[in-house]
Amino acid sequence: MSWLSRLTNVFRSSRVNRDLDDELLFHIEARTEEFVRRGMTRDEASEAARRDLGGVERVKEDCREAGMSQMLETTLQDIRYGLRVLRKNPGFASMAIVTLALGIGVNTAIFSVVYGVLLRPLPYQHGGQLVVIHQQATRANRPNIPFSVKEILDYRNQNHTLDAVVEHHSMFFLLMGPDWAERVQTAVVSANFFDVLGVKPLLGRTFVPSDESHNADAVLVLSYKYWQIRHGGDPNIVGKVFQMNNRPHTVIGVLPSIPQYPTESDVYMPTTQCPFRSAPGFMANRQARMMNVFGRLKPGIPLQQAQADLSTIANQLESAYPEAYPKSNGYAIATAALQEELTRRARTTFLILLGAAGLVLLIACANVANLLLARLLKLERELAVRMALGASKVRLIRQLLTESVLLSMAGGAVGLALAPFALRLLVKFAERFTTRAAEVRIDAPILIFTALVSVATGLLFGLTPAFSSSRQVGDALKQGSGRTTTSRGRQRLRAALVIAQVAVSFMLLIGAGLMIRSFLKLLQEAPGFRTDHLLTLRASPNFSRYTQSQQLQSLRDNILLRMKSVTGVESAALATNFPFNPNGLAAGPGNTNFEIEGRPVTKGELAPLVDVTSVSADYFQTIRQPLVQGRTFTEHDDLKALLVAVINQTMARHRWGVDDPIGRRITFDHGQHWVMIVGVVGDAKEYGLDRPVQDEIYTPLAQNGFAGNLVVRTAADPMTFAVVIRAALHDIDPQLAVDRVDSIERLEHESVASPRVTTMLLGLFAALALLISASGIAAVMALSVSQRTNELGIRMALGASRESVVYMVVRQGLGLALAGAGVGVMGALALTRLLTSLLYATSPTDAFTFAAVSVLFLTVAAVACFIPARQATVIDPLVALRQE
Amino acid sequence: MSRQDSLQGSLPLLTLKILARRGPLHGYGITTQIEAMSEDILRVEEGSLYPALHRMEEAGWIKAKWVTTENKRRARLYEITSAGRKRLGEEEARWRAVTSAVGHILQRA
Repeated sequence: MSWLSRLTNVFRSSRVNRDLDDELLFHIEARTEEFVRRGMTRDEASEAARRDLGGVERVKEDCREAGMSQMLETTLQDIRYGLRVLRKNPGFASMAIVTLALGIGVNTAIFSVVYGVLLRPLPYQHGGQLVVIHQQATRANRPNIPFSVKEILDYRNQNHTLDAVVEHHSMFFLLMGPDWAERVQTAVVSANFFDVLGVKPLLGRTFVPSDESHNADAVLVLSYKYWQIRHGGDPNIVGKVFQMNNRPHTVIGVLPSIPQYPTESDVYMPTTQCPFRSAPGFMANRQARMMNVFGRLKPGIPLQQAQADLSTIANQLESAYPEAYPKSNGYAIATAALQEELTRRARTTFLILLGAAGLVLLIACANVANLLLARLLKLERELAVRMALGASKVRLIRQLLTESVLLSMAGGAVGLALAPFALRLLVKFAERFTTRAAEVRIDAPILIFTALVSVATGLLFGLTPAFSSSRQVGDALKQGSGRTTTSRGRQRLRAALVIAQVAVSFMLLIGAGLMIRSFLKLLQEAPGFRTDHLLTLRASPNFSRYTQSQQLQSLRDNILLRMKSVTGVESAALATNFPFNPNGLAAGPGNTNFEIEGRPVTKGELAPLVDVTSVSADYFQTIRQPLVQGRTFTEHDDLKALLVAVINQTMARHRWGVDDPIGRRITFDHGQHWVMIVGVVGDAKEYGLDRPVQDEIYTPLAQNGFAGNLVVRTAADPMTFAVVIRAALHDIDPQLAVDRVDSIERLEHESVASPRVTTMLLGLFAALALLISASGIAAVMALSVSQRTNELGIRMALGASRESVVYMVVRQGLGLALAGAGVGVMGALALTRLLTSLLYATSPTDAFTFAAVSVLFLTVAAVACFIPARQATVIDPLVALRQE
Repeated sequence: MSRQDSLQGSLPLLTLKILARRGPLHGYGITTQIEAMSEDILRVEEGSLYPALHRMEEAGWIKAKWVTTENKRRARLYEITSAGRKRLGEEEARWRAVTSAVGHILQRA
């Protein structure tokens, strides 16, 4: 019978039971017949037959036990033995379990995030077939250019590899209830959007093609989150009507709670409802590029084939419309799997964290292996006796492995209990990178991972000691005295384990050290203005009521004027963007073409690119961005005046070098309008501390229209002004939607949150590794001292000073640490390259970090050695000698 | 004769021997064969026969199959395997060694 069928036998007990009944019944009947033949009555015979068998149930029980597989029996025996051993060594067991629980718990938590974010299939039907399509200007270094309506139609109609092409873009509109207005993030999507994603509505319906025709009634689909938060999960929401863009919009459905692609939106509408997207001029212009595109591969078509197919179309477009695809920019189409696109930003960070967590577990393994080895020393005689009595090597190894797997399973169970706490923090962290963070949870795949890791861990740390002992117990019996001495081989094994442990923790420390150094450098970056006492918010007018540009201009002037009368407001400004604006951080600097007077751009050459920000007159004074040269804007820089601009120092240096840029002229429209540079301001970190400052042009808002970002310098804690400022804005227009109220100091803090958390996590792992390794070194040295009690006693009896004994022990331990650190440096030099993309202004082989970590590490190692070394000095030479 | 295990741990040996000689037998058949061939000197403790049979089956020395007898009753027949024959050889040798040693002592002491 095979092992498996034996095992299943144990479980198919009802059938086994019936068979046994039959077999025993047959026996009793046959016996009865025999007794009858010998002259008993049938009743007597039957009774005697049963008595002879001795209790049917007991026999059955014995048979079942015999039938239980030998394997299972042995394993249970091993488990019982292992549990007994662990109970008898509670110190060893709890030490090992805690170490393993930390290692396995950390890995479980990080793997949950990696699985949820990177590996779990997209929660969309055919998620694996969805591909994101980008247009690229290869020579202008623009990898992600949106599509125009004409381009979308071309790709939709001419491709042979996609069975659907979906367009979408995101805008904000004001959604108006009876007496309120709010700004809603609106995804404007083609009618097939939800069908291609395979998303079914929670309530009502999603879009159908007729919703996307030009005279259709305006409809909305709400996201789950928006429905829950803003409409309290109103079950009767379908059919409700809201005003948007001066038209009634009817809610037709609510989405289920799923991660939204590409970003979280509040509401969805068909393309025809977006006043910008459906304007005839916009639709006819091949270069009016605003929309994003994804598609679904036809079944069985690989991504490469679709890429080739779309590239063919791109080539045709490029030659058919040379003015829309200038040769100098280069034109290409790029496809990428949606899954990758969604998680690209999270990938490096989380794989590095998973790798670091794996290393921590390895170190924990080495530590437990060392503990096991130390314990085996005491067991050696017992094992030797058992082998002499006939226990096979395999049997002993199996027993030791069972014990170590028991340990690691216990560690795994505790780790699993710890994981959810770590997970909560990690999910918050992951949300910064990807909308998929919401999908992170501990479920079957995670449990399987933890179980596998636990068993593998147990085998890993159990194997070395188990095999070493089966090899060496032979010698143990030959030793006469009751005290066993460690063989040289075992000693070397323990040393190797410590060296490996030290090497791995050293690598982790280097990694964490680099991240800390990079983060400190990031924090030292001057933002280029005063971040304190600045309040910012976004004010969004209902554009459908501000149809004339004069209306927006007067709104702008009214807001600025009204701010001056708010007590405690020192100055205020409106701007299209401001430093640490989350929108700006996400989008990055703009790329506007411009030309400098007297430096014409020759054909085929790329026009210079620059980021342009429009700010009201008091902007520089409000944020305290220093004026270096010339002047900033005044209230007179309006449409009636000369067009002017202020540039930053980087641009002045970059474009004019030592020359004076004041009075020079630039143009954004090939010379139709010339803009004169009137001032140079200091560099501000507009797009985050980690992004190098690049060329920046500031233009006066009064010459450029309206901007909704209000920045206010306050006399006290800026957040305390939120209420009065909001009220002041509503005095001007009750329909102004106000959101994103925040202090710039907090936004700055927030802008470095992800490197901060990554650094903290790596630092935590490294600290854990350092602690585990230090305790490993201390344990090995302590054992070595206790085994050399005799030798050390003799040395001291012969006149060795306590100091020299301490020195000897510490030197031996530091030797191990140095060897490990040496290996660790090699490993770190090879591995820290992986960190490059996470490091700011720090080389992955930064000498300072390597040096600092080495000093820290060796100091900790010296302390770890010193504790057991001190024990050596309290050895009483007489006692030590008498032991012999 | 009082019923007690007089087989001294030799039940597997006897079972294997009988199955090797007589071919497939059911549990009751094995009991009667042992008793008959030993002229009723050896009695099989029936309560331990069946567990022993199941253990031997587990060890792969014998295999079992179900048959239906003439009077429509299910009976379990045991048959020796090649592993069982090998084991039988070893057990026989061991038994001979032990008995001859015991005999030796009884003669000399």
